[in-house]
Amino acid sequence: MNELIRRILFSSIGKKILVGVTGVLLCGFLISHLAGNLFLLVGEEAFNHYAETLAHNPFILPAELALLAVFLAHIAVAAVVSIQNKAARPVAYEVQRSKGGSTVGSRTMVYSGVLLFVFLVVHIKTFKYGDVGPGLYHLVLTSFQNPFYTAFYVLAMAAAGLHLSHGAQSAFQTLGINHPRYTPLIKAAGWVFAAGISLGFASLPLWAYFRTGGLP
Amino acid sequence: MSGDMRFTLKVWRQKNAAEMGRFEIYEAKGVSPDMSLFEMLDAVNEDLILKGEDPIAFDHDCREGICGTCGSVINGQPHGPETGTTTCQVFMRLFKAGDTITIEPFRAKAFPVVKDLIVDRSAFDRIIAAGGYVSVGTGAAPEANTLPVPKEKSELAMDAAACIGCGACVAACPNAAAMLFVGAKISHLGLLPQGQPERDRRSIALRRAMDREGFGNCTNHAECEAACPKEIKMRNIARFNRDYLKASFLSEE
Repeated sequence: MNELIRRILFSSIGKKILVGVTGVLLCGFLISHLAGNLFLLVGEEAFNHYAETLAHNPFILPAELALLAVFLAHIAVAAVVSIQNKAARPVAYEVQRSKGGSTVGSRTMVYSGVLLFVFLVVHIKTFKYGDVGPGLYHLVLTSFQNPFYTAFYVLAMAAAGLHLSHGAQSAFQTLGINHPRYTPLIKAAGWVFAAGISLGFASLPLWAYFRTGGLP
Repeated sequence: MSGDMRFTLKVWRQKNAAEMGRFEIYEAKGVSPDMSLFEMLDAVNEDLILKGEDPIAFDHDCREGICGTCGSVINGQPHGPETGTTTCQVFMRLFKAGDTITIEPFRAKAFPVVKDLIVDRSAFDRIIAAGGYVSVGTGAAPEANTLPVPKEKSELAMDAAACIGCGACVAACPNAAAMLFVGAKISHLGLLPQGQPERDRRSIALRRAMDREGFGNCTNHAECEAACPKEIKMRNIARFNRDYLKASFLSEE
């Protein structure tokens, strides 16, 4: 067992596998979170009902703790990997030009990741620990009356799209899945997933900001 | 061989691993478009020697693109702007007369500079020594058909075995990772029947040796694949990941 922990936690490939597996789990969370959020478009009653049912589920606490553990593992291991990678080239190139291969997404994983972390803190503070007296629907709509707050959300979701454009398909390679026939398909699916998640989440603050009619 | 092209060269000069390096500017005159970059450096070096200065040190051997000795980063690209070639196969016709050309060594903690453009790539040798081989008892050659090798597998193994160990994958990798090099060894030995008995052990040992040398972690940029003069594919890295995962969880050794 000790040997296995050493091979996974304290090895280059093992750490990447951890980032990949936790990343895939987080992708699953994003899908269910987006599906839940879309109740906003159904209406106030439906959304508040969904939010309250979720909050009063007796299993929500262990689920949240598990999710927190996955998030922290993903962030901590990725941070270690990034620091080690920086140290692996102590003298930078004077000129560095891509020969192909890397993408904007792959080169900005650290930056998009840091922005997403900041976003997470703000997001949880607002909606998990905010004032939900008149209902979560009301809190969502009032929060997105602020153009800066809305813009921040859209920016963060653009970062999420960029992060996923590399991360989603890259996880397959890290887990050893690469095939001349299926890898182009996996890459395309990764892009579609990134665009879908990013646009899906970003559409909600934009909808809340631009919707006409008074607040509930 | 002479011509009328001129270039400004910005070349990394470093006395040895201990001292700090810096860029020096040199003028290359009378360059023919048919000269290779190395032939131009040879001409610049002859001038430097006549002036009593230290010539620019760079690694080269076959100058035919097959030995893996040469390797510099030219205008930010390992082995220069073309794909599937080595530094010695970079010809001056690829550049516009008057251009400034920046030439620097492969940069990685695991590849310390020996002098100027020459880096120490013995980290690769130590990785190979850790398990990048097949242990066979020598003796009379066995009957050929006792060990069937599928055609597709032998082709893939040979593609991976085309690696010349130049280190461009490390130089091109934004993380200075050596996964393409090691992945190539994993494939070229692991796809053949002779490589099976040590397959689990090999992936564990090579990974350990690779990390010990201070290479970075692969984040799947795929810059290595684009810079590889032998066009070795990222599939080999996936095979390494797969072998390592399998050996870590399932090996009964």
